[in-house]
Amino acid sequence: MSSIGLSHMLNRDRAMPDRMTSVGRLEEVVSTAEDFDRVVSQSLPLLLDRAAGYTKRFLRETGQWSDDVAHEKFVLRWGAEYLEQFLVSGRSEVPCRPLFLLDSMVARQHSRPEPFCYHKDLLTPLGRFLDGLVGRAAVSRDALIALYHHCYGLGPGQVITALRLNGSESPRIYKNFQRWRDAGWKRTLEDIGLTEADLKGLTEQQQHQRHRFNGEAERLLRFAQSHYRKSEPEHYPCLSRHQWEDMFLQGYGVEYRVWHLALCLDCLQTAWDLGLDGASAIEKPRMVLQLLP
Amino acid sequence: MDIEREFAGYREHLLNAIRTGPRRSGCGASDPIHVFVNQRRVGLLESAGAEASLQVQSQTSIDSVQLRSEDGVLLGGLSAPEYGFRSCRIALTRAAIELRVHNTPQGGSVNAVFQPVPGFWHRARRAWSGVTDGTTAPRPLTVAGSGGRVLAFTQVLLAVTLVGLVTDRLTGWMTPASPPLSVTQTEAPWAAPLAEVTKLEQQLIELSRMQAKVVETIQTQQQGMAQIQRTMAKVSSTQETVASSVLTVKQEMEQRRKGAGRDADRMTRVLMSKALSEQEQLEAEIHSLVIANERLARERAQLEQHNQELNKRLKTAGADVSKAVVPDIEKPVMAQQGAPSTPPQVAEAKTVPQQPPFLFWVTFSEGASQDSIDQWVRDMHGRKGALSEGWQAVEIVPPAEPMERFLDRLKQTQIVKAVRVSR
Repeated sequence: MSSIGLSHMLNRDRAMPDRMTSVGRLEEVVSTAEDFDRVVSQSLPLLLDRAAGYTKRFLRETGQWSDDVAHEKFVLRWGAEYLEQFLVSGRSEVPCRPLFLLDSMVARQHSRPEPFCYHKDLLTPLGRFLDGLVGRAAVSRDALIALYHHCYGLGPGQVITALRLNGSESPRIYKNFQRWRDAGWKRTLEDIGLTEADLKGLTEQQQHQRHRFNGEAERLLRFAQSHYRKSEPEHYPCLSRHQWEDMFLQGYGVEYRVWHLALCLDCLQTAWDLGLDGASAIEKPRMVLQLLP
Repeated sequence: MDIEREFAGYREHLLNAIRTGPRRSGCGASDPIHVFVNQRRVGLLESAGAEASLQVQSQTSIDSVQLRSEDGVLLGGLSAPEYGFRSCRIALTRAAIELRVHNTPQGGSVNAVFQPVPGFWHRARRAWSGVTDGTTAPRPLTVAGSGGRVLAFTQVLLAVTLVGLVTDRLTGWMTPASPPLSVTQTEAPWAAPLAEVTKLEQQLIELSRMQAKVVETIQTQQQGMAQIQRTMAKVSSTQETVASSVLTVKQEMEQRRKGAGRDADRMTRVLMSKALSEQEQLEAEIHSLVIANERLARERAQLEQHNQELNKRLKTAGADVSKAVVPDIEKPVMAQQGAPSTPPQVAEAKTVPQQPPFLFWVTFSEGASQDSIDQWVRDMHGRKGALSEGWQAVEIVPPAEPMERFLDRLKQTQIVKAVRVSR
């Protein structure tokens, strides 16, 4: 057992009586949304451990578990994700027994074909960085636009050119970039548990083996993109060169371009090859990882 | 140890993030809100300060609806029921979002309505513009709206009065003190009306009392309105539930009706086909029975005819046998007389088990006369039977020699053409 697991168990033993009381309260029926909020907010650590515990069990039973910090952080991150969804959606399920509702919600998540993006290589600092970034992009427009910068080094103006966006969309892109630089990047790194030491290590790696580092980053990016692209609307599949050209020339599908091209390197390169609006004047996008916003 | 601390710090960060909830978002009220259905992004609620709505139809059942800000913070959500309606109101900082989910066996639908909450000054401005601007288009007057207008009007009136009063007082203070002069009202209009000021003060007090009353009334009205809205919401949700139940029941009834009709048709068809096949079987059986019956009747007639023939033959054979046997019986009787004494009963017993006559059929050669035939029969110690198709039946005492030899001997006879022992 890892040192984290052991100390966690010891802490858990010390707090056992409190936990038993909390569990007792959570097993009782709550009738109103206010009661739900009150009971749940008093037991957040317990609920987080429970959700993380289920995720750990899932990884163990599917033969994907390994006793290390990266795995511990992974299950904690997904436990927090489930708990956040539980807090928001659970209010609409009253009257209910909160503990069992959380269990059922986590079980429902784990019953899906791919409940989360898991790959052993994505648990390295580089993998965690890319997974966290692309995973965030699936739910955040700021992170999505920031992908163009982190993966291909494009600035807001270049993004607007590359996506052939019109005037009304441009301020929004600048706003997305600004918010990401202000708070989004830092929060995302904290949420995925990437420390300053990890970041420093990545920077050193990039400086010493730039070509190899970017090659590895592209490999991992493609893996993460193929997983998180499923969170796009169902009607956003990859398009042929002719279809992209038609879309750009006709001027429709702004959201399609923004979402799909950020999450698909191949389509981005295809669209870039069209050379519309002077996009070809800029070097064709290729993976050059930018660690800072 | 460092790892443990790092891990504990990470856990604490996640817990804090959960505790902070939607407040973590750095987005403003004017920023769009992303709507996710079953964890897939389906659209945007772009408000720009006005009411906005988004409707999503799905062919699959809706499991969850989530609202996220541009920076990805989860603002609210709803867990959809397996079937039927569910709605909730998610209050944000400067707005509220009404979410409504409806799941049916055919799929689901989501309706999200963004409702900005207007600020106090916005409301007052609107109310004021409603009072002063007579040219504005008439709008449906609500209780809350009229209350707001009265409140704004009172406030404006109070403010004007206060400004007048303060100006009046300030003017009095700033003016250098001067000895009382006998002046006329037209010369110094501000100096004389102290009584008027007192009167104005009283009016002001009355006005503030009135305002307090108005505020109370408005508050009461607002409470009443809130109650009415709650009741309305309850009534509408109940109505929706009832409507959905009625719809479900109707659909079920239709399905059942259709199902029952289909079942009855199928059953009738099955029964009909079964009955038809049974009828066909019966007809076939009847037909075969009729045929069998006819055949039996024919066979019976043939048998009867044959029986009659046999009877006739038997009668004739009996007569012939009796004729032929009588001399033979006499002989042993006569011999008995010379034989050693045996009891007569035993002698009778020996004569009784006579062998049956041997019947065979012959055809005679052409040209054989009837006399020669009769002579041959007599030589054989036999008698003629029926004549059928050229075959003459002949009955004789069973020959002692073997059958084959007997038949060969017969065939060697000149007048016999062919012999057979069976018909």
